[in-house]
Amino acid sequence: MANFNIDAKKDVTYDAIVVGSGISGGWAAKELCEKGLKTLVLERGPIVEHVVDYKTMHWDPWDMEYRGGLTPEEKKKHYKNIRSGWVGKDTEHFWADDEANPYTEEKPFLWLRGHQMGGKSLLWGKQTYRWSDLDFEANAKDGHGVDWPIRYKDIEPWYTYVEKFAGISGEALGLPQLPDSHFLPPMELNCVEKHVKERIEKNFEGRNLIIGRVAHLTQPHNGRGQCQYRNRCSRGCPYGAYFSSNAVTLPAANTTGNLTIRPYSIVQEVIYDDVKGKATGVRIIDAETNEVIEYSSKIIFVNASALSTAHILMNSKSKRFENGLGNDSGELGHNLMDHTYRVGAIGKVDGFEDKYYKGRRPNGIYIPRYVNIDEKSKSDKFVRGFGFQGGGYRGGNPANEESFGADFKDGILKPGGWEFFITGFAECLPYHDNKISLNHEVLDKWGQPTLTIDAEFKENEKALNKQIQEDAVEMLQTAGLKDVMGFDKEHPPGYGVHEMGTAEWVEIRKPRF
Amino acid sequence: MDRRKALKKTGLLAGATLAMPSFLSLLQSCKNETRLDWQPEFFTEEEAKTIAVLIDTILPTTDTPGGLDVKADMFIDKVVAHTYDAEGQKNMQNAIAEFNARSKEKYGSIFPELSDADKTAMLKEEEANDPKFNPGVWGTTVGDQKPVGFYRSMKSMAIWAYFTSEEMGENVLSYDPIPGGYEACKPLSEVGNRWSI
Repeated sequence: MANFNIDAKKDVTYDAIVVGSGISGGWAAKELCEKGLKTLVLERGPIVEHVVDYKTMHWDPWDMEYRGGLTPEEKKKHYKNIRSGWVGKDTEHFWADDEANPYTEEKPFLWLRGHQMGGKSLLWGKQTYRWSDLDFEANAKDGHGVDWPIRYKDIEPWYTYVEKFAGISGEALGLPQLPDSHFLPPMELNCVEKHVKERIEKNFEGRNLIIGRVAHLTQPHNGRGQCQYRNRCSRGCPYGAYFSSNAVTLPAANTTGNLTIRPYSIVQEVIYDDVKGKATGVRIIDAETNEVIEYSSKIIFVNASALSTAHILMNSKSKRFENGLGNDSGELGHNLMDHTYRVGAIGKVDGFEDKYYKGRRPNGIYIPRYVNIDEKSKSDKFVRGFGFQGGGYRGGNPANEESFGADFKDGILKPGGWEFFITGFAECLPYHDNKISLNHEVLDKWGQPTLTIDAEFKENEKALNKQIQEDAVEMLQTAGLKDVMGFDKEHPPGYGVHEMGTAEWVEIRKPRF
Repeated sequence: MDRRKALKKTGLLAGATLAMPSFLSLLQSCKNETRLDWQPEFFTEEEAKTIAVLIDTILPTTDTPGGLDVKADMFIDKVVAHTYDAEGQKNMQNAIAEFNARSKEKYGSIFPELSDADKTAMLKEEEANDPKFNPGVWGTTVGDQKPVGFYRSMKSMAIWAYFTSEEMGENVLSYDPIPGGYEACKPLSEVGNRWSI
């Protein structure tokens, strides 16, 4: 892999500027560079070069001094991130510094950020699903939010284009509510998952239990290696087997010779020229030197994540746009959404004690949406719907066994009993009062205004969650599981790490400029 | 358990490959002597002995290494010293003190100095009374978790220290750092012990 050109100082003018190098920024960089545009990617964190900078990729637990545990200093640095349950010594360096980059929770909201080249594309869950017209038409049909300007047929060629390059594994099923992607071979369900699938599909018409559709390669693809089933994805994959900007789009952009990526570049604002009547560049702060630099270009593509993109636009004030760039509608920063998270059921499965698996599959099962997909499945309790992720595995907590001593110790060397869980992800409606705003009282390490987040799930999401838990318990009990326990962690938004809204709708709502 | 057999095995192991301190600490705990052969970073001598004897009672040496053979006690001391904040450390010390106070009240002396029979009696009672961990989904517990006491927490911590040790992870449990593929339904007999990672 060639090194990236990070020498942006000598040249401050480019054809295109891309703000952020996560999933969408990486794609923007690739497309712009391949079209021949000299492109500057501004990344607020350090360079993370594929493989070279995956320092923890081969660590076993005993290679870490505290076997994955964090020191009080590290916990303090991640005092918000840590609520997610995902942060350990193996990935700590890929989660943003919460102390240097504070935000204010008017209501509880977990904002997980990845401040490095590749952003959260290093950390994401890889579940990759197409939308259908059920989704694109929902706003128009139920009146929540404004109508999408496109339909499935408009975006289908782009889905295909992206999937063919990225590599998505899965099984084609022809479900109208979950259109098939261009699939690499699917990963396999284990024996307990197959067993539960059979029982659920037999007893619940219209419900399917499938292997997750994921951006993991199940065969070599475009020069990248296939998944080795280590399940150490979030440390960076030495085989490039899952999709990340670092392994896939940025190297492609780099081979054109048109890419410059500038690390430690915190974009403050997009510069709007009131005379020319257009955006002409961006102003950055160098995170290491505090130097302020302006870069100019014809095209500016802000890909800084849902919240940070809106943050930058709100910060971009001019005579023409006193309330933030493009904010004629007043909706900038509003309609913040996330999927609901950690509502479902878990139970034990008997009868497979002599069965195990080999390999740590970085994927689970998926139950596609089955409510409100047609007249027959219509609910009178809520609009929209939900899907489930989950999986079966041998687990159990040996500390729970009411025993100790020699027999106990020898017993726990064998794998524990089978467990199976499903956890739902419900759609969130766009609400004007779920919003972010600039906070000029709480400043970040560079003296810049931060965000105040004021969002909550409301009645429709709570009704969806209630249904998720009821259905989850019913499905697992019907499938013959034992000790089935429903759960709802009542997580506030943010835990799903699917932030949506805040910026993408503003021009569409009132296109007055 | 058959302590003589265990000691013999541990002795053989220690002589061959394992470092001496764990062998010695086991030896001493069996004799109910009070001196530690290693210097804890955090625990007092009595606290370290309590943890060591607890680990040895829960995870004794058999044909396979015990908790002390893989230095689970020394690791826990290090973890408490370096990953707990001051409040967490205080809570840990208070919990050990309470545990030993219970032992003293019921059986006449602190836990590490009890006879094997009394240790077993006390831990059986702890097992029956200490709430269990709820199941976890993607790393966090779900459902209404009752507060777990010192015994269950330390048992869990000891098992974690035991399973994540290099000796257990690479040589006793099934170790496969690069599986290369996924075999979705494999006879357990072809794998043997649980996967270490």
